[in-house]
Amino acid sequence: MRFLERAVTDPLERFLDKVLIFLPNLLSFIVILLMGIVIAWILKKICARLFRAINLDKMFERTGTSGVLAKGGIADPSSVLLSRVIAWITMLVFVIIAFRALDAPAFAQFLDRFLLYIPQVLVAAFIVVIGYLMGVFFGRAALIASVNAGMRTAGLVGRFVKFTVFILACTMALEQLGIGKDTVLVAFAIVFGGVVLAFALAFGLGGSNAAKSFLEKRMKGEGDNDDISHL
Amino acid sequence: MTLTKEIENKIKEVKKADILVGIPSYNNAHTIGHVVRAVQAGLAKYFQGRKSVLVNSDGGSTDGTLEVVRSATIDDFQSIMVSESNQSFFKIAAPYPGVPGKGSAFRTIFEIARALDVKACAVVDSDLRSITPEWVELLLKPVLDGGFDYVAPLYQRHKYDGTITNSIVYPLTRALYGKRVRQPIGGDFGFSNKLARFYLTKDVWQTDVARFGIDIWMTTTAIANGFNICQSFLGAKIHDPKDPGADLSAMLFQVLSTTFDLVETYSDAWSSVKGSEPVQTFGFVYDVGLEPVHVNLDRMIDQFRLGVKELSHLWQAVLSREALKALRKASSNMNDEFRIPEETWVEIVYSFAVASHKNVINREHLLRSLTPLYLGRTASFVIDTSESSAPEVEEKIEVLCKLFEEKKSFLLQHWANKP
Repeated sequence: MRFLERAVTDPLERFLDKVLIFLPNLLSFIVILLMGIVIAWILKKICARLFRAINLDKMFERTGTSGVLAKGGIADPSSVLLSRVIAWITMLVFVIIAFRALDAPAFAQFLDRFLLYIPQVLVAAFIVVIGYLMGVFFGRAALIASVNAGMRTAGLVGRFVKFTVFILACTMALEQLGIGKDTVLVAFAIVFGGVVLAFALAFGLGGSNAAKSFLEKRMKGEGDNDDISHL
Repeated sequence: MTLTKEIENKIKEVKKADILVGIPSYNNAHTIGHVVRAVQAGLAKYFQGRKSVLVNSDGGSTDGTLEVVRSATIDDFQSIMVSESNQSFFKIAAPYPGVPGKGSAFRTIFEIARALDVKACAVVDSDLRSITPEWVELLLKPVLDGGFDYVAPLYQRHKYDGTITNSIVYPLTRALYGKRVRQPIGGDFGFSNKLARFYLTKDVWQTDVARFGIDIWMTTTAIANGFNICQSFLGAKIHDPKDPGADLSAMLFQVLSTTFDLVETYSDAWSSVKGSEPVQTFGFVYDVGLEPVHVNLDRMIDQFRLGVKELSHLWQAVLSREALKALRKASSNMNDEFRIPEETWVEIVYSFAVASHKNVINREHLLRSLTPLYLGRTASFVIDTSESSAPEVEEKIEVLCKLFEEKKSFLLQHWANKP
């Protein structure tokens, strides 16, 4: 009888005790999760309206972001996309809170590490987005300036500036994430240095005559300029 | 803005004056002496007995411009048939404070005019080689005796000179505000004290108005605010050869940026204007032999083609399909058959004004991307008028202006459609 008590009843009672302690946590988990779903849904609707009201789609179109997303197969308007992202971030926050409510140590440890990494991911994503926008802006400025200077390689200059700025931003983002910290930096330095050296050699050796006549014209102000007074 | 201590002391010395002539300068030592003497002679000859001040508002010249201004004077008044020198003639030559540029120089001139409570003012460029004493009379008399507030210049210019004026600024200003001011960005103007004070009430001195935009800003502000406008024929405008390093794109950007800002500011004033009317013109109009102007057509067309090749994707957001098609067609033509039709050009200018209004792309990018199109249109104009005489060229400009007036409905229609 005592054996039966020790082998079956006691563990069962302990299990039931644990279940009774766990059940409210589970209930909290489910409630927080449901709250998260509702709040995320409400936020998504509010943000979508707000973004439409401030003409965010036009702004993204102007910067060329919408075009890039469309090329990548994402046809939804930027306002919808961004409101979805906000909803998912909200949802993620609630999932984390819900798991905390479960009071499971293994989960808690994993979540702690995950939580510590999230700000870095967000900063890295921000750097990439800003880097892309700056790349487009400076690339376009360089393209227009090169066309106005009559450079035949204007398109190449524009693309070079655009990608250099973007690659620089990606390098910074990877460094932020701690991925191959030194490797990425060294690789970037080698590639960038290589490109500059290649240009220097091409200009100095292959095009030394062109370089000479170009510099002479610039310094002496020579060239077949017209005399039109535009104003 | 506060004037520098040096200028304030000079103002205290002069106290009050009837006439002020301003000369903005920056490293013009070898030309400004002639301008100063012409102004002094003009004041002595036509405004005897009036207390007058010559103001040189300098941008920090390092070539001795200020010293030249201070020392330049008429030695022999009998040679200009004036019995005695004008006893009440003063000079103020000092650097101006503020953003470097012609607009800041003018602001200082307006401030001095207000402080001295002058009756009439004029401003003339410091690199002029063709200025005569009569310019002073022609710019000031309509204000002093005619009751006008603003006197724009009218010059005899080479057919290829002033292409931004001929292809954009004059037709656009005329179509928008309805007044035929032929040289709205001429650089030499006369104006009343009332108008100088009005200019000073405007908060524009940190914008492009402070640089190349000042001329069109002065003209448009005067027209759009109902001031009494006229123009005076001054003869030929010959000035120092242009600086080869001067950046056309920057110049075009500053002029257009100010012009489109004004279109924005005065949209209520221009939207109801239909057609245009001439303004009163003073001075005896005569023909002048002009120096030939060398034009590098191939380079202009090459730059236009480069623009079409590299910037078409940008222009897609600004121009209609038809306009883009016309540009591509022009780009594929041989140089001797190269042509950008007037209709296409009018649509381009209006479309850029609308795109600037609607912020379609970054404004500086937008306006700077117009440079190859402007060069293309200039090349087309040069080819079109290569055999034309000056009156024939003027007729062609008149045709373009009428097209701008006819197609104003295009601007009105697209302007209202906010995105």
